Amino acid sequence: MFFQHLVNGLIQGSLYALVAVGLTLVYGVLEVVNFAHGEMYMLAAFAMFMAFNLLKLPFVLAVAFTMLVLMALGYVIARAAVVPHLRRSFETTVLATLAASIILQNGARFAFTATPRQVILPLEDVVFSVGDVIVTGQRLLIMVTAIVAFAALQLFIRKSRTGKAMRAASQNKDACRMVGIDVRKIAVHTMVLGAALCALAGAMVAPLYDIFPAIGTTVVFKSFAVVIMGGMGNVPGAMLAALMLGVGESLAGGYLSMSAKDALGFSLMILVLLIRPDGLFGRRVRV
Amino acid sequence: MKSFWTEGRLAWAAVALAVLLPIVLRSNYLLHIMVMTEIYVILALSLNLVLGYAGLLSLAPPAFFGIGAYTSALLALRLELPFLISLPAAGVAGLLFAAAIGVPSLRLSRHSFVIVTLSFTLLAQLVATKWTDLTRGAMGLPGIPPAEFFGISVTGKVAWYYLVLGVTVASLGFFVLLVRSRLGRAILTVREDEILAQAVGINTWNVKLYTFAISGLLGGIAGSCYAHYITFIDPSVFDFYYMENLLIMVILGGSGTVWGVVAGAIIFNVVPELLRIHPELRTFLYGIVLLVAVSAAPGGLAGWVRSRKERRGRESSQEVSRA
Repeated sequence: MFFQHLVNGLIQGSLYALVAVGLTLVYGVLEVVNFAHGEMYMLAAFAMFMAFNLLKLPFVLAVAFTMLVLMALGYVIARAAVVPHLRRSFETTVLATLAASIILQNGARFAFTATPRQVILPLEDVVFSVGDVIVTGQRLLIMVTAIVAFAALQLFIRKSRTGKAMRAASQNKDACRMVGIDVRKIAVHTMVLGAALCALAGAMVAPLYDIFPAIGTTVVFKSFAVVIMGGMGNVPGAMLAALMLGVGESLAGGYLSMSAKDALGFSLMILVLLIRPDGLFGRRVRV
Repeated sequence: MKSFWTEGRLAWAAVALAVLLPIVLRSNYLLHIMVMTEIYVILALSLNLVLGYAGLLSLAPPAFFGIGAYTSALLALRLELPFLISLPAAGVAGLLFAAAIGVPSLRLSRHSFVIVTLSFTLLAQLVATKWTDLTRGAMGLPGIPPAEFFGISVTGKVAWYYLVLGVTVASLGFFVLLVRSRLGRAILTVREDEILAQAVGINTWNVKLYTFAISGLLGGIAGSCYAHYITFIDPSVFDFYYMENLLIMVILGGSGTVWGVVAGAIIFNVVPELLRIHPELRTFLYGIVLLVAVSAAPGGLAGWVRSRKERRGRESSQEVSRA
């Protein structure tokens, strides 16, 4: 059973990583905690539901549709709630994104009602087994998606012009302005990138769980813990912390109790803040 | 001291008005709204202390509210303790939890503080839902006994109105004394310039921790009043819905002021109730109001009044100089 829990945990961790990396990236570059991030995830799941069940798009196109919708949403949130407050206090951006999250969550409640929706994918019936360990195709796909997405993300941040500008903005915004990098534009790019990662998470998980307007809250609860454990703004740190939390939760759920599993993220976050306030991996490696 | 005197007079007038209100309000429904408003005033003060005075955004007030409600309810139901003990116990519970959360989360930065306080609220609701042995989970705790003084139990809306009014006025008095005390000035200094505060010998970490703990105390007291007044609680007392209302009240009222926030709590409780806006629509509209307020009027109602006064002052002084 141990290996089964381990694999389940790694898959759950990949999901947390997809959500948390967007969150920590936005913080690392802009020093903004996007409280609407959970709602982005929720809307991604709904977009996937619409694309796959209502528009009857094939899987790959449905994922692409979800990403496009979410990137547009990321753009709107960036323009409405983040960019206008970049030079104001940290609390202002939190309140603005929190307001955006309230609007989106309650808007979703009106638009989609609280009825749980399902996306049914044939991949969920494809079963791989190695020894005692059993994995369904959809779960495996989450892990593969996460690995591909992070490889692409690293490549983008290291090599592309926008990625370099993002790293520059994370180090010194005034210097960016001096050499002609438009920080507001970088802010929008970063939010759109975070939204795209969130879209992947939402699209991949949609076939596994029920979809309803409150699902963002639970996921963002875990993601916050991951972001703090990994060191706020530390992208590789968040990936590792997400995997650790996923495995930890899976083991706690398997050997202790479901309540222990739910409280694990918060407990670990508090523990990290007490022992290593800068996160497990420190803050030297950023973005 | 003229401003202190006029402000004091206004405060007494407001209290007198509040005392006389039940003579005018005859319907139980209106009185219920007023009792809830009083509870919201205490909660708004608890958020105002951390957000307005210390400049820290805490998303934990619903957590302390719920912890106070559950502490009070459980003490009254399981140990049959009277209200006079369960009320302060709820406050102390809020204070202790706030201190316990404040120690790790205030260490690093205001940024992690926001995240930890939000997570704590979500965790508190989770625990209240899952720890069924203690809290009966989603079934809630019914039959919480009403407050009782010397064998006379407080029933009826009018009696509750006055009881909670007493608690609210006491909290307000405590709040005003606190923000004018040495600690209050230290809190403001920390908000304005933390490094300067350290330079003049203020232990900023302690100041922030005390502020947060006191906000937990106020939240716990509000929760206790709520539990004994409504006589039934379930995990929905931890709902983020309360936080949204509180943010609107404090920010639009004018965070960092006393009377602005009290006015905000009254206005944003009474007006939506009387307009009978559906709660779900209300939260949606509140989101938009919050976004607009944060973008356009960060000073809130009190800030608007102040800037109007200043403008008028400038205009009249210009007229004087022209004449």
